[in-house]
Amino acid sequence: MIELRKVSKQFGDGVPIVALADVDLHVDAGEFVVVLGPSGSGKTTLLNMIGALDGPTGGSIVVDSVDISKAGRKDLFDFRRTSVSFIFQSFNIFPGLTASENVQFGADVAGRDEIDPVSVLESVGLGERVDQFPHELSGGEQQRVAIARALATGNPVMLADEPTGELDFETGVQILELLQKQAAEGRAVLVVTHNREISRVADRVVELSSGRIVSDGPPADGKARLEDLRW
Amino acid sequence: MARPVSKICAGDIMKDWFLLLRWSWRDLRKYWVKVIAIALVIGIGTGAYAGLTSTANWRRDSNVASVELLNMFDVRFELAGESSVDKGELATAALGIAHADSLDGVQERLVRPTQVDASSGADTLLVPGSMIGVDIADGGPAINGWHVETGSALAPSDAGEPVVLLDYGFIFHNDLPPSGSVTVSGGEDVAYAGGALTPEYFMVVPENTSTFAQGTYAGVFTSLETAQRLTGMEGAVNDLIVTVADDGDRDVVAAEIESAIGDLGVGVEVMMKEEDPSYRILFEDVENDQEMFSIFAFLIFAGAVMGAFNLITRLSEAQRREIGISMALGISPRKIALRPLLVGAQIAFLGVVFGVLVGVLLGQLMRSVLVSFLPLPVWITHFQWSLFAWVAVIGFVIPFFAAAYPVWRAVRVKPIEAIRTGHLASRGGGLAPLLKRIPLPGDTFAQLPFRNLLRAPRRAVLTTLGIAAVIAVLVGFLGSIDSFVGAIDRGGNAIKGDSPNRLVVTLEGVLPTDDPGVVAIGDATSVGETIPILQIGAKASGVEDVDLLIEILDLDNDLWHPAISGDKMQGDGLILAEAAAEDLGVVVGQSVSVTHPVRTGPTTFGFVESDIVVAGLHDNPLRFAAYMDVSALESVNAVGLANVMYANPAPGFTPGDVQRELFELDAVSSAQKASAAADELDDLMAQFVGILQGVAFFVLLLAVLMAFNSASISFEERQREHATMFAYGVRVRKALRMAVVENTIIGIAATAIGFGGGLWMVWWVVNVTAKETMPNIGLTVELSPATLVTLVVLGILAVAIAPLFTVRRMRRMDLPGTLRVME
Repeated sequence: MIELRKVSKQFGDGVPIVALADVDLHVDAGEFVVVLGPSGSGKTTLLNMIGALDGPTGGSIVVDSVDISKAGRKDLFDFRRTSVSFIFQSFNIFPGLTASENVQFGADVAGRDEIDPVSVLESVGLGERVDQFPHELSGGEQQRVAIARALATGNPVMLADEPTGELDFETGVQILELLQKQAAEGRAVLVVTHNREISRVADRVVELSSGRIVSDGPPADGKARLEDLRW
Repeated sequence: MARPVSKICAGDIMKDWFLLLRWSWRDLRKYWVKVIAIALVIGIGTGAYAGLTSTANWRRDSNVASVELLNMFDVRFELAGESSVDKGELATAALGIAHADSLDGVQERLVRPTQVDASSGADTLLVPGSMIGVDIADGGPAINGWHVETGSALAPSDAGEPVVLLDYGFIFHNDLPPSGSVTVSGGEDVAYAGGALTPEYFMVVPENTSTFAQGTYAGVFTSLETAQRLTGMEGAVNDLIVTVADDGDRDVVAAEIESAIGDLGVGVEVMMKEEDPSYRILFEDVENDQEMFSIFAFLIFAGAVMGAFNLITRLSEAQRREIGISMALGISPRKIALRPLLVGAQIAFLGVVFGVLVGVLLGQLMRSVLVSFLPLPVWITHFQWSLFAWVAVIGFVIPFFAAAYPVWRAVRVKPIEAIRTGHLASRGGGLAPLLKRIPLPGDTFAQLPFRNLLRAPRRAVLTTLGIAAVIAVLVGFLGSIDSFVGAIDRGGNAIKGDSPNRLVVTLEGVLPTDDPGVVAIGDATSVGETIPILQIGAKASGVEDVDLLIEILDLDNDLWHPAISGDKMQGDGLILAEAAAEDLGVVVGQSVSVTHPVRTGPTTFGFVESDIVVAGLHDNPLRFAAYMDVSALESVNAVGLANVMYANPAPGFTPGDVQRELFELDAVSSAQKASAAADELDDLMAQFVGILQGVAFFVLLLAVLMAFNSASISFEERQREHATMFAYGVRVRKALRMAVVENTIIGIAATAIGFGGGLWMVWWVVNVTAKETMPNIGLTVELSPATLVTLVVLGILAVAIAPLFTVRRMRRMDLPGTLRVME
């Protein structure tokens, strides 16, 4: 589903800053992968390039059978519309739309007329909050709306950047549960975080340091249950 | 060694100020496009007011100085109709009154209608005019002096010689040489030594016509002896003008002289200086223009203030976290407010600088137009220091306070609220919940523009009102012109009727219709059908007094008759203009009191008052135009008499052919196409088309600037939303389309409001301003299709496309950076 070969990324014109160097990564459909690393390790850069928000300076990236490292501007828009869905740390849901309308937005983008936003919201536990505006929702509820919006697109790859970063523990666990569920349903879910505890519930943990993958495999102590998490 | 405390404080304060200045300067640079746009709008608002008001002050000062320089009369006594008396009789009558010591000066004149042929080569320039003869023994008239603008003055030795001066306005508008020769009625060639300005001709308003006849009405100024000889009135005078001492009572003097002239057995019309059409329009025009300028400038300025308010609000919002951090560090709100206030002050200052530049440029432009189109002997066009200083203060203070309000609000929040980021910083949806229960058609992309507008209702309202103010100016401006042009067109159509080439032939006095001179007109080769008319000046009394020019003619003639509007004629009586009936407060079938001349002797007329039934209304907007059937001639003791003929050119002849042939006839004073006045006004309007287009472009620019600012602010506020959309694969053009829809909604609302405001301005111009300046023209509020198209293009299209200016920034947006927490 996701295939990165020798991907590198440099910033700056004078003395270049290496964000990623020769990264190879393969993620299959149905995998729940956590990308772990300290601040500045390149994990968000990696996520942005898989989501075609940014382009690599070297190597190739193929996602959902699309070589986005060679795609043109129009193709990248199409790719984002049909292949990936984003979940952001600060949610970025539209404040002028209600919860159900935000979800409807995701369906509209993907052209999925058959989607019922209320049932999608029910699937993330927000069946009672469909007509609320974002400012009327808690942080956890807002993030669930963001997940529901991503689900409404029906895209096979879900990319989450610090999805629990602004949430309390209990809410964060609920969000992780939702993401796990998506992977179980066949989506490739890639979560970027600096929270090592989260990596315990992943199928795979990819650890980055200074733009390089320093480890890639299942959690060191085996996959934990959500109830065992603490932070 | 420690420095004195006071020095440390002063140094720290200076450092603080420099830091704040540098910081605010960086803020300005960050938003430089919007800053320049807002400053320009402020500048245009203040500059328009300063520049236009300067011209009003110039005109006021120049009018007063010009009138004083040429010693304009205080009271004028004009003998009724064709009456005249021997030279000296009028002066003797005036000097014999009880309060003769109140008189400063007395001047007898002979004022007669004439015709002037200034044709050269193939260009026919044959116009009616007035010949004014005065005593020039002292080199020129002592009252209503002549200021020679071009050529040379008359010398005392020119008395009785065929030498005249022409009105300079006539020379200027027709591009005549500074001196030359013309032919006047009677076929005599006279030399004109030059062009002169005189108060009664500063604005050329021939009796009982509309205004602005500089090019089609010739003032001929000469010695009394020459005028008497050229008009065949040897030894006669028919006009007296006097000046009254400062401590004299003009009303008393006027009444006594009127009585004294009445004792000579002739009727007389008395006119105070303020009633003179030229004087009245000259001064009233300034005041009315000033009112209009003030409203226009106020609206533009109001739009600018709203724009400034929006921008500063955005700047304050952008600094929200910095303000919160400053608060958390214990800095006082007053000090925190300094930086955004400095930004506001700098924008206001920049606006004032632009305003001065715009004002000076506009003033210079208007000065050249004024001096060209309104020649006065004295033009005082000093730079208006006090006006500009006042406008600069207003231009600075109001935008500054507009900026202060959002800053004041920003520093009143709790530090924790200001510092918050992420979802905790998210604010309410404004009025967006209002739309929650209103199902709008379409997908979420169709809903978002409406929701976005309601999310920021204050900015949406201010932007809408700002643009509406500018549109109101445009509608007011163009609508006023449309109303004038509409009235001219209606007048032209009413006058032309089925005889578009009809000529009005003014006779040399009141003549029997079987007079050989009158018969000769009908017999002229180039003349086809003719009808005799008796034209009399009258005054109708009602709610308002209305001057009338009653034409008594056979209403069943085939050549031309007035078109009756509304109800058909109800018996015999007076046919009034709709505007006259409205001002008099009468309707068809009611009587109106009319003071009109009655022939008392072969060449003398007196005035009587009669109640005359209003038999119908005509559709000519000229208020003074009135008609009666030929049967009314008995009531004025003038059966079989005429002083005007209507004439159609014979087949194969043009109006110019008729003019040239009739010019040779003794009985003809002038021959002019009936539609000449309307044609002249049409030409005048055509000259302003370019200026109008310039103004329209200028206003368009203002509206686009405001719309651009609004779109730009919206873009910055919604960068994260746009980035999210792009992350989900929404194309830039779709995001732009939503912004365009949002602006279209603003444009439609602004256009509707602006249209309403503009319509009110047109109403005000038509019913208040024009009624004072041009009471003789019955204007109605009209808007041409071109104005409506301009309105739609400006108000909706230009505003709608403003977001397209942000396309580059959208395309270049740093998506990863924008999607992370961003302030």
